[in-house]
Amino acid sequence: MIQILQLQPGIYLRGCTDTRFKTNCLSIQFVRSMDRQEAAANALMSAVLLRGTEKYPDIRDITRHMDDLYGATVGSLVRRVGDYQTTGVYCSFTEDRYALGGDRILEPVTAFLQELLLHPRLEKGVFCESFVEGEKRNLLSAIESQKNDKRIYAAAQLMKYMCAQDPAGIPRLGEPEQARALEPGMLYDHYQKVLKHSRIDLFYVGSRPLEQIAQLISPIFSQLERDYQPLPGQTPFRDGGKTRNEQKMDVTQARLQMGFLTESTVNTPDFVPMQVLNTVLGGGMTGKLFMNIREKQSLCYDIGSSYQGGKGIMTVGAGMDCKMVDRVERSVMQELENCCNGIITPLELESAQSAMLSSLRQIHDTPGSIENFYSTGALSGMELSISEYMHQVQQVTVERLAEIAAKVQLHSVFVLKGEQV
Amino acid sequence: MKQTLYPRLDEQIYWDKLPNGLTVAVVPRQGFSQKMAYFVTGTGSLHREFSMDGKFYRAPMGVAHFLEHKLFDMPGRDISGEFGALGASVNAFTGYDMTAYYFSCTENFSQCLHLLLEMVTKPYFTAESVDKEQGIIGQEIDMNEDAPETRIFEDLMKAMYREHPIREPILGTRQTIGEITPQVLYDCHRAFYRPENMILCVVGDCDPEEVRAMALEMTADASCPQVEKQENWEEPAQCVSHSLTSSMEVARPMFQIGFKCDPLGAGREGIYREFVGDLAAEVLFGESSELYLRLYEQGLIDPSFGGGLDTVPGMAMLTATGDSDDPEAVRDAILQQAEKLVAEGIAEEEFLRLKRSTLGGRIRSLDSFDSVCFRICAYHFSGFDYFQFPEVYESVKSEDVRSFLAQVVTSQRCSLSVIQPKEEEL
Repeated sequence: MIQILQLQPGIYLRGCTDTRFKTNCLSIQFVRSMDRQEAAANALMSAVLLRGTEKYPDIRDITRHMDDLYGATVGSLVRRVGDYQTTGVYCSFTEDRYALGGDRILEPVTAFLQELLLHPRLEKGVFCESFVEGEKRNLLSAIESQKNDKRIYAAAQLMKYMCAQDPAGIPRLGEPEQARALEPGMLYDHYQKVLKHSRIDLFYVGSRPLEQIAQLISPIFSQLERDYQPLPGQTPFRDGGKTRNEQKMDVTQARLQMGFLTESTVNTPDFVPMQVLNTVLGGGMTGKLFMNIREKQSLCYDIGSSYQGGKGIMTVGAGMDCKMVDRVERSVMQELENCCNGIITPLELESAQSAMLSSLRQIHDTPGSIENFYSTGALSGMELSISEYMHQVQQVTVERLAEIAAKVQLHSVFVLKGEQV
Repeated sequence: MKQTLYPRLDEQIYWDKLPNGLTVAVVPRQGFSQKMAYFVTGTGSLHREFSMDGKFYRAPMGVAHFLEHKLFDMPGRDISGEFGALGASVNAFTGYDMTAYYFSCTENFSQCLHLLLEMVTKPYFTAESVDKEQGIIGQEIDMNEDAPETRIFEDLMKAMYREHPIREPILGTRQTIGEITPQVLYDCHRAFYRPENMILCVVGDCDPEEVRAMALEMTADASCPQVEKQENWEEPAQCVSHSLTSSMEVARPMFQIGFKCDPLGAGREGIYREFVGDLAAEVLFGESSELYLRLYEQGLIDPSFGGGLDTVPGMAMLTATGDSDDPEAVRDAILQQAEKLVAEGIAEEEFLRLKRSTLGGRIRSLDSFDSVCFRICAYHFSGFDYFQFPEVYESVKSEDVRSFLAQVVTSQRCSLSVIQPKEEEL
């Protein structure tokens, strides 16, 4: 169903032809190694490109052009996939057949992407200073505003401490100091380097054959002087030692964030069983954490776990009354211990399996989820097809989960607490 | 069931109104795995005063949300677990004017639908379970107190509205939820969850007749009391106060500006006025507007900025929200720009472009099952068949948008809610 075309060495177009949708999507991602020195520059780059081009010199001209194309949207997209950081744009636009009077949308959208990537508005041969300064301010604000959502903030703090020696500890949008230091000349040179050397991943979902998209999009890249430098492979977790940190803030509710190391990654045969274990423990409203710690003990309002296969890290996050933090932590350890001892009911296992099977079946129901699953899958090294993935989910037994759970070790803890406690 | 075709959107809906008054809508989607059902009552946090069979009731603040939590309880059963075992995810939310229960699944659709209808129509409350829920919702209230976007909105509502219950938080307070008893919940359930006040909407590859038959069976013994909900509030056009500032642990000042509109009314005219308000927001401060570019270039707004029209029974408002170091300057610029647009008029070409853009956005959102269910239900309670939106959009006249701006975007109708970062302690 998913087709892959190589347009040039290191430039891949993936996608699928699907006529069920009213929305089409096209994404372009430059793939870089996650690096403390350039993370902020990568995050800033596409935002600066979206400020103006030769033909559409400011955001108003760009947006008007997009309005003409039935409100097509082009946004900056920065992702972290294991050791890689991707930067680029994601376009979402209306399928041609819903346009009035035979208007075309796809062709002008690809023409605009060419304009955006190859003809940015420059001054003195580099990016406009006002664009860079403005977007730097926005990037800094986005980085600092993570603090506004205590759940996101606590999760990011845990990763920072737990992964101090691993690229996973580098914030997705980079560090504020790195962002502040960026200047138009440096950023423009960096962009040229990115265009020349990076792996470029393109993804399309819509009604046209992929070959036709390749024809429309290839001219963008045939104009580049390329010297493709392949990326190093994904690496295992580099452990800088266990940590335990507590921070005081003026908050009503405390946040507990626990980080566990597992021995399962996308490259080990127990990747899928580990996903099942994570779902049994803290996936949604049927997980052990939710059922026992929230529903039975009323200790917290939200609680759940997530698992990152790239590094084999599982995290648990919860919000609760400040006095309850220790109790919740002990209860989480108890639930994990129960998994080790095989105390998992048939219903708990079945629910986790059915939930996962259901999400896997739904991947092909929206353009966004198709794009996300396959473009991040291609980078993380997760090579399972959806049917193989589903098959493995169905094979999991309680004994298998107990074996895997026994290898899950608490590594680091971060607590955010009110000042009055 | 009656089939209605919407050729512009390449869509169809099977509609029916059951003898007990329940509306059923099924949107078939062949070739998709996901199946989704929304079972919704047109009652939300606003509706805590009502009369039922001639008797007047005033329920504690937060009752609609409390009820939403408690309907997940059935004696000796674990409803989320049962949905889970069927491979479905179930959830619910309470808004100001509706409460929705919904599930999404890829298999076992009939069992899931049966379970959803059973759970919502068969209430079961005990003193013990109400007591326990007060603890859980108390935690949810605490979590909201740390959420700046909730605080900023609740502050804005207090600044703008004197009488309308939108000034009350949906969750209520720890004190008001303490007043809730099983009897209060049974009374409210009987009043709010009567079939003629509800809609069942299904999207997916399903058989419409099967959905109808099950809805009929599961609501056969529902009670149908005579209920009048109180939806008329004497609300002055002026705001209570023009600004309100709080401080919290945030990185930069956050703001929300509100302009009080007159209530829009129901049916097609109401929706027309809503779309007028929507387009007015786009013309005034949308991303392709003159004002957006200027404020963005001055660094007064950033990509977090946005806004639009919000409406529930008895009120409507135009709001704009974002992060800024100088919220007052943003407010003043919006007021000045509105004056300018009213004086100079809106260029027809510009207006057509905006219509095309917003129309394209609404068409694309039909790919989301969630959005389709939500909108069909929400507009149903306003007396409008949502899939007729393209026709209404196209009929909007720029002159009406101009009059809307002239009437609404004025300093008398404006309030500004700001959250300042806490001062660092030295």
